[in-house]
Amino acid sequence: MLTINNLVKHRGTQEILSGISFTARPGRVTGFLGPNGAGKSSTLRILLGLDRATSGSALIDGKPFAELHNPLATVGAALDGFGAHRMRTGRAHLRWIARAAGLSRSRVEEVLEIVGLTHAAGKRVGNYSLGMGRRLGMAAALLGDPKILVLDEPVNGLDPEGIRWIRTFLRERATSGKTVLLSSHLMGELAETVDDVVIIHHGKVVADGTLEEVISNHSTLEEAFFALTSESAGGVV
Amino acid sequence: MSVSSSRKITQILDAELDKLVTLPVIWLTLISTFIINLALTIAFTSAALQWGAGTQSILKTGLASMGYLQAGFIILGILATCSEYTGGQIRTTLTTIPWRGVQLFTKHMALAIMTIPVAFIIAASGVLYAFMMMRDTAVAIEIDKLIKTLVGVTGYLTLTTILSAAIGAFLRRTTSALMVLLSYYFVVSPLVRDFLPSSKNYFPDTAGSSMYMLPSSDEINVLTPMQGTGVLLLWTLLFIIVAIAFYRKRDA
Repeated sequence: MLTINNLVKHRGTQEILSGISFTARPGRVTGFLGPNGAGKSSTLRILLGLDRATSGSALIDGKPFAELHNPLATVGAALDGFGAHRMRTGRAHLRWIARAAGLSRSRVEEVLEIVGLTHAAGKRVGNYSLGMGRRLGMAAALLGDPKILVLDEPVNGLDPEGIRWIRTFLRERATSGKTVLLSSHLMGELAETVDDVVIIHHGKVVADGTLEEVISNHSTLEEAFFALTSESAGGVV
Repeated sequence: MSVSSSRKITQILDAELDKLVTLPVIWLTLISTFIINLALTIAFTSAALQWGAGTQSILKTGLASMGYLQAGFIILGILATCSEYTGGQIRTTLTTIPWRGVQLFTKHMALAIMTIPVAFIIAASGVLYAFMMMRDTAVAIEIDKLIKTLVGVTGYLTLTTILSAAIGAFLRRTTSALMVLLSYYFVVSPLVRDFLPSSKNYFPDTAGSSMYMLPSSDEINVLTPMQGTGVLLLWTLLFIIVAIAFYRKRDA
């Protein structure tokens, strides 16, 4: 269970997050939506212990990320970018992560197989396409077979086959009782994947509920998103 | 420390060593440093032979390139920490090892483990070349002095690498760290030494140089190798502590 409670983040004089609160529950895929600059990445970075909150908390099963005993087996995270040095090979990148978590080299080969990157594992990350980089990020996230996945724009750069694979994969994870939180700007993809939706705008939650609740009387999630994030919109759904 | 904690630290140390050995630019730096140092030693040895080796010390000739050699180790230290900020690797590091103080300290330990044998081999190769070329003509070399000097050089280069890594971790950008450190070692320190003769022995580089250089008879107030080690060690620890303090507080 991921619990974001009244999260506030200031950067200089700017308020990036103004009291964000929501939960992502086990057995559900939670979509985290918002326009560029709304505060999605900041929220995820605080949740993963990369950035410090000005106030409020972001907890994983009741603990801050830095207090997790075995982070890789608890939370698998893939943020924007490749998360890997461009001069290292994909396999070498995964191997140092595995070493840090006390995982075997065979697990590295397993995750490479899962994400379909075995053929390119010996290539330097700098030569990867955007889609291959996303797959590498997913492989790193899956190394510890975590019970929670936190993914920032996971389908960005993936080809249709990759998008389909990730959709099916995330649904399977949720069905097996795991927690999935993903941010995306692709409404169509999100509508087919998520159970719950949280929409933020200007650092505030403007909608939080099941997919059906958030869509409400709009025709699609996209319609609901634009209605909720237009400047005139107000109040939380 | 519990078994679990010590196992975790061993795993982190293994991972940090893995990061170092799988980064091609680290090997490129080490191989270039080795080749350039050997080339400079060949040049210095040739010059010493031309000018009359009878008065030249094999050790001094073999280590004449130290001023330039240290640049390679400064670059090594900077690359070790600043490479975390290439391709967003720092995010992977901190989501895998969220205990920042332990992670950064362990990275410095891994770097020391890698640097010690490499520094010894590179320094010894220069001395060995000078010995091979000058053994018939130069002043005889004493084995215990040779070993002490090589240990001193290894210690100096290792501490300089660690200090550079700490400054790299603090500045986070390779170019900025290179500019700061190379400017200090090659411009600021040599200039300031003339203006502050009383305190020059306490700069990291000048104090460190007493770890391997025997004081000449005309110099007073020169530190002993142990004192030099102590001063450079203190500078290194200070920079590590500052780097860790900022690393723990800052957004990644």
